[in-house]
Amino acid sequence: MSVPRALSSTVGTTSSDARMRRRRAGLLEREASLGVLLMVPGALLLMVFMAYPFFLGIWLSLTDSMIGRMGRFVGLRNFVDLLGDDIFLQTTKNTFVYAMVTVPFKATLGLGLALVLNRAIRFSNGIRAAVMMPWIVPTALSTLGWFMIFDPVFSPISWLLRHLGLATRNVNFLGDPVLAISSVCLANIWRGIPFFGIIILAGLQAVPNELHEAAAIDGATTWQRFRHVTVPAIKGVVLIATLLSIIWTFADFQLIYVLTKGGPANQTHIFGTYAYQIGLAATEIGTGATIALYMFPILAFFAVLLLLYLRRED
Amino acid sequence: MSHVSTRMTSGVSRRRFLERAGLAGIAVATMGSLPRRAFGQAPAFLKGARLAILQGTYFIAPAQDLYKREAQEWAKAVGATVTTDFLNWPDLQPKIAAAVQAGGVDIVELWPSWNWLYRDSLVDLTELAEEVGRKGGGYQAYVLNSARVSGRYLGIPSGQSNGSMAYRISSFKEAGVAGAEDGRKLDMTWEQYFALAKQLKAKGRPFGQALGHSTGDPPSFCYPYMWSHGAMEVDRDGKTVLFNKPEFVDAMKRFIQAWKDGYDETGTSWDDSNNNRAYLSGQISSTFNGSSIYFAAKKDKPDIAQDTHHMLIPKGPAGRFYWLGSRTFAILKSSKQVDAAKEYLRWWFGEKYDEWWRLQEGYHLPHVVKYDTDALWEKDPKMAPFKDQPKYGRDLGYAGPPNEKASLAYSKYIVVDTLARAVQGGSAEAAVKWGADQLQRIYG
Repeated sequence: MSVPRALSSTVGTTSSDARMRRRRAGLLEREASLGVLLMVPGALLLMVFMAYPFFLGIWLSLTDSMIGRMGRFVGLRNFVDLLGDDIFLQTTKNTFVYAMVTVPFKATLGLGLALVLNRAIRFSNGIRAAVMMPWIVPTALSTLGWFMIFDPVFSPISWLLRHLGLATRNVNFLGDPVLAISSVCLANIWRGIPFFGIIILAGLQAVPNELHEAAAIDGATTWQRFRHVTVPAIKGVVLIATLLSIIWTFADFQLIYVLTKGGPANQTHIFGTYAYQIGLAATEIGTGATIALYMFPILAFFAVLLLLYLRRED
Repeated sequence: MSHVSTRMTSGVSRRRFLERAGLAGIAVATMGSLPRRAFGQAPAFLKGARLAILQGTYFIAPAQDLYKREAQEWAKAVGATVTTDFLNWPDLQPKIAAAVQAGGVDIVELWPSWNWLYRDSLVDLTELAEEVGRKGGGYQAYVLNSARVSGRYLGIPSGQSNGSMAYRISSFKEAGVAGAEDGRKLDMTWEQYFALAKQLKAKGRPFGQALGHSTGDPPSFCYPYMWSHGAMEVDRDGKTVLFNKPEFVDAMKRFIQAWKDGYDETGTSWDDSNNNRAYLSGQISSTFNGSSIYFAAKKDKPDIAQDTHHMLIPKGPAGRFYWLGSRTFAILKSSKQVDAAKEYLRWWFGEKYDEWWRLQEGYHLPHVVKYDTDALWEKDPKMAPFKDQPKYGRDLGYAGPPNEKASLAYSKYIVVDTLARAVQGGSAEAAVKWGADQLQRIYG
């Protein structure tokens, strides 16, 4: 007996739908294929917004391109030329000073902040939220506050010092070479402390109280408890926070741009601001990309350190 | 047909009716076409056009408001949409660079020498620019020297904001300056100006000068100081750097001394607005600035406005100079509305520039010569010194062309940083040598 055509078609469709469903289910059941599926959106985003600009940056750094004019391939000429550029060398020095001075301060003060916040105090949640403000507020906005504090004409600090008789004229916060780099470092430290504070606080709260109690019963002093109980417990998070902070500080831009734009006389230029000035303001996008790429080995070094540590912890 | 029968029942004759109907028709037609006539026969392609305009922010705020209103007036009349964005001066160039790369902007306001930088990305507007110049009796010499790229106009010149020495009349009088109450009569050398600064700093009223990384006042002071002492970035050949000259080193030594003796030394971090605020707060008694200080004082500090005058920038052994190149309104090639943008610029320069210029009362130096004899210059004697500013104008890169190399030197603040390094480090020789080396890297 032959199956009516319509019925045959329905049966065929049903069985094919079922096969599809099974195949789909199988795809989702298998860990390997599910993993690939879940990775695809992230990988696409990374390729479009990270990998493409990165490789474009590498290509540009090997050309003499200007904005609006694709240049010729010049090999490593931009990299070599920059080594003879006084401003670039000054920028490199500034970047290292900026990162290496600020991160230890941020880590130390952040640790202190975390220890204070870890104590049972009233309104602790509110206080913890409040101390995060420098980290949460957009950098450009909070830096404007510092811009006013360091204002060469209307600085409240200068006003106070003059009225206390401690200074006869306004402090040249952003115009004196030493004070300028110190001032931008100070603003950076202020902004970065909460990050360390909250990360370390999370580490501190994971330390069982029993350990402290046991050490206290054994006669350990406060310092000994801190040294032998607290420090080993938070060592990992401090290291991770430090490495992340170094990477972010090296790649900073907004704070310097708002406060000094690299001045006075390039004393506060860091890689980000100098790359911006040359690449976008002076339109030498090839050289600008090269300046930015000089950051890459430094950032890669710290990123690898971070990954190695995390892998060891795993 | 009887004569009576030709009358209509309302008592209006046929001839009268035809006359009235004709007049009414003409009136309706005239009224209907009013906007088209006022806006130069708005072509159909303007309807629905969307234009984005990018400019530097105005120091004379009412002029910025007026520009916005004018743009909207045009948009409404022709059925287009126009957005106008105004950016801080140091942010303008990066934003334009981004627009060149990514699009999204149709008309951009370019500072002197930027036409060279973006020349491959700008629409050739020579025909329209020459029409605008012709209608104004020809362009000013400083415009002709700065606005063209290899003989072509890649933007319509609009002139430039002014800048010179603002000073407190009472302070100058106190220091014994003859004719201080009328800046038009003052004709100082740098030595005389620095001597005054020393005298007034001793009385607690120093001079102020911005030497930070900012695009207006710092280069506007530093380039003329260099030129007036015989130095320049590069010779006419565009290759030979003429920066490290003994007379300029000597001038730098005098500037270092003057900075200590007569200036507010925090000026090394000042941008284009710090000196305005310092002057308006009474902290300094003279500075190089546009007349925006005077405008702000007239509005908020009439006593300071009353006590303020302007004089020409001091002269050096090689003469008196201003950094002066014309700004231009240019159209990006990436624009999808090039024709609409051209129509807008044609309309604005033809119909609105005059009102916009007058509102600024001399703050904006005009682009064409017809304004040389304009009565506006007689309106306020304190603005009169600016009328002569174009006579002394030179553009970046002089004696070479204001090309991309000149622009790179400007963007890297090399001339500004030379003066800043000199006053910070104290060595004129080292600072000038540093500047010359940097320029050599660019021009060599």
